[in-house]
Amino acid sequence: MIALDQISKSYDGVSRIVDNLSLEVLEGEVLMVLGSSGCGKSTILKMINRLIEPTEGRIYLDGKDIQHQDPIALRRSIGYVTQGIGLFPHLSIQENISMVPRLLGWPEDRINNRCRELFELVHLSSKIHANRFPDELSGGQQQRVAVARALAADPAYLLMDEPFGALDAITRDSLQQEFLDLKQHLNKTIIFVTHDIVEAVTLGDRIAILHEGRLEQIGTSVEILENPATEFVQNLFAKSVKYWKGFKNIL
Amino acid sequence: MKTASLTAYIVERLPEIWQRIGEHIFLTGISTVTAVLVGIPLSILAFYRPGLRGPLLGTVSILQTIPSLAMLVILLALFQKIGVIPAIVALILYALLPIVRNTLAALQGIAPEIIEAAQGIGMTEWQKMRLIRIPLGIPVIMAGIRTASVAGVGIATLAAFIGAGGLGEFINRGLALSNTRLIFLGAIPAAILALLVDFVLGYIEKVCDPKRNRYRSHRFQVAMKLSIVLVPLFLLIPVFISLSPWSSQTSGYSEKNETKSVNVVRIASKNFTEQHILSEMMAQMIEKQTQLSVERKFNLGGTIICHQALKRGEIDLYAEYTGTGLMAILKLPAINNPDEVYHRVSEEYRNRFNLIWLQPFGFNNTYTITVRKQDALRNQWKIISDLIPMSSKLVAGFSGEFQERPDGYPGFQEIYGFKFREVHDLDPGLIYQALSKGAVDVIDGYLTDGRIPAYNLVSLKDDKKFFPPYHAAPVVREETLNAYPGLRKALAPLGSLIDNSTMMVLNFEVNENKRDIPELVTEFLKDKEIL
Repeated sequence: MIALDQISKSYDGVSRIVDNLSLEVLEGEVLMVLGSSGCGKSTILKMINRLIEPTEGRIYLDGKDIQHQDPIALRRSIGYVTQGIGLFPHLSIQENISMVPRLLGWPEDRINNRCRELFELVHLSSKIHANRFPDELSGGQQQRVAVARALAADPAYLLMDEPFGALDAITRDSLQQEFLDLKQHLNKTIIFVTHDIVEAVTLGDRIAILHEGRLEQIGTSVEILENPATEFVQNLFAKSVKYWKGFKNIL
Repeated sequence: MKTASLTAYIVERLPEIWQRIGEHIFLTGISTVTAVLVGIPLSILAFYRPGLRGPLLGTVSILQTIPSLAMLVILLALFQKIGVIPAIVALILYALLPIVRNTLAALQGIAPEIIEAAQGIGMTEWQKMRLIRIPLGIPVIMAGIRTASVAGVGIATLAAFIGAGGLGEFINRGLALSNTRLIFLGAIPAAILALLVDFVLGYIEKVCDPKRNRYRSHRFQVAMKLSIVLVPLFLLIPVFISLSPWSSQTSGYSEKNETKSVNVVRIASKNFTEQHILSEMMAQMIEKQTQLSVERKFNLGGTIICHQALKRGEIDLYAEYTGTGLMAILKLPAINNPDEVYHRVSEEYRNRFNLIWLQPFGFNNTYTITVRKQDALRNQWKIISDLIPMSSKLVAGFSGEFQERPDGYPGFQEIYGFKFREVHDLDPGLIYQALSKGAVDVIDGYLTDGRIPAYNLVSLKDDKKFFPPYHAAPVVREETLNAYPGLRKALAPLGSLIDNSTMMVLNFEVNENKRDIPELVTEFLKDKEIL
């Protein structure tokens, strides 16, 4: 379980990019953090793996304050998929995927076995892709590699920062489907940041809606649609509903 | 010149060419490797401490702006030593800028999302450096090393000025003897070496670029291994060469100077023809008359460099001129009586420096103010004072040393009370040619230089008796004379052996007829029946 307790982040001491935010992510659930760009959603993820330190508040992982943990060990225990994919361009796919196990000092055969599993898990071929380099793969394949890298050491938690944001609609669609399969299969606690309402509704167990650094509402998609807590949430979904209606009419 | 004789000329010098190339690679290689070993850690440190970046880049940039010769002379003064060490230090300092600048740029230039990913998956600072920044930055870092090495090959030609050897040795000697072939003998291999280094490092740069080698991964590894073996091997060439028999015969290189070996006399010369001839004479006499062997450190530099080296015991003897000793070294006022000058310098040298003046060779190589014969005839110039009316129109070409010495242009202006319109700084080997071609109107000639009559030049009479006598004589460390009693006797036959016209002929044979100095000297000494 991940718990954020009254977290705030400010760079200039005046404006707050994250403002007094508390939320809990339950064991095994996928929490979608939804918001427009600049609302502080990536900042939240980076505070959880201590790439950014909060100005105020505490974050607990399995009840332990992460402030008292070694950031390096903490990061190795949390899978992280960055916004810009962030594969290492000078390393082969296999080397990219096996980086965390290597940092953790796993023996060679264990690393190789794990890589084979991972290739299968993300629907890549270890024969074809293992010795390729990131820029020889399509965007969708690169994203799969990024997910495989995050999962390599079998972390209990996974942080995903708009992982499908840069992909074309069709690729995104198939990756979202794969994500749903993966989620069933793996039973991991996942925080997934997105600005796409459809993605949030499709992939998430619950959705946390963020606006200007503040939590507007958190709940399942049904709860939110039926009982929007604020005007912002109501407008956000009203627009999408309108859009979908228009789409149905065309059909 | 004919092809056959040119080939012979090169073949004859081949062992020395190889030796000089070896020294050149040694100088450039050692200094570049050291600059890499110093520069890359410094850059990594500055990368982590941004406050250090400005001062570091500033320092290496300023070092780069110091003219190379000035740098060598400064280091020479600093280390109190001629030879390899100051040269290598200078080369290291020059190599630092491209290496530091490129390394810093490489480390800073990694895309932020890659760094964020590396940090996000739990790499430590050092792992980020070792696994991400350095491998991704290798092409840029290698480009810096390549720039530094190629520039180093060029700058290393100047190392010969302070007796560190290398291909610059030929260039310097060529300049001193105004011998173009010798200059090319140094310049062409240096250029080829620079291109070769550029090519080899360019290849290594490609091999090290991780992006270019993905599917050649096997070849990549082989090439890497190969280059790791080849590069040090390349650096070892001079070691092999210096182990081979010929290297001991040729002149002044390297660490051998550091420890004085027993039964070796080290003879230096200044950087012009007459000095080479005199030193070669002394060398041949010593080799013939004693059991001592001679180390020739010819073309060491100007008066000051030779004198300092002698005082410090890096050399044992060279030929000095009485007037130069009196005014340039001892800073005493001019004296006109030759015997008086000789006695004064002998006494002072012995008391102040423990250096002994042996019997003079006999000729007086004074400075002469020299002009073209046709100008002298047209303007009726006979004595220096005749130049006064036209002095504001005349352009002078003087050697650097003459412009600085109290018995040179500064004192000249004081005594004669006039200046020339302009003074160009010219290499002593080039002034006669410059005058005869009309590039300048007046030069500081040496009275014994055969090119004065040969180029239709005339010397004007020193009517105010400004220049003291300049009688050449061997100057030897007292210590050396005591250690090798046979030395004084071996050199004695050279006393009063050479008059002005003889010295002029010998100089002319070398400068204009391109005679080989050792051969000419042997012939001369045999002719005089003393060898």
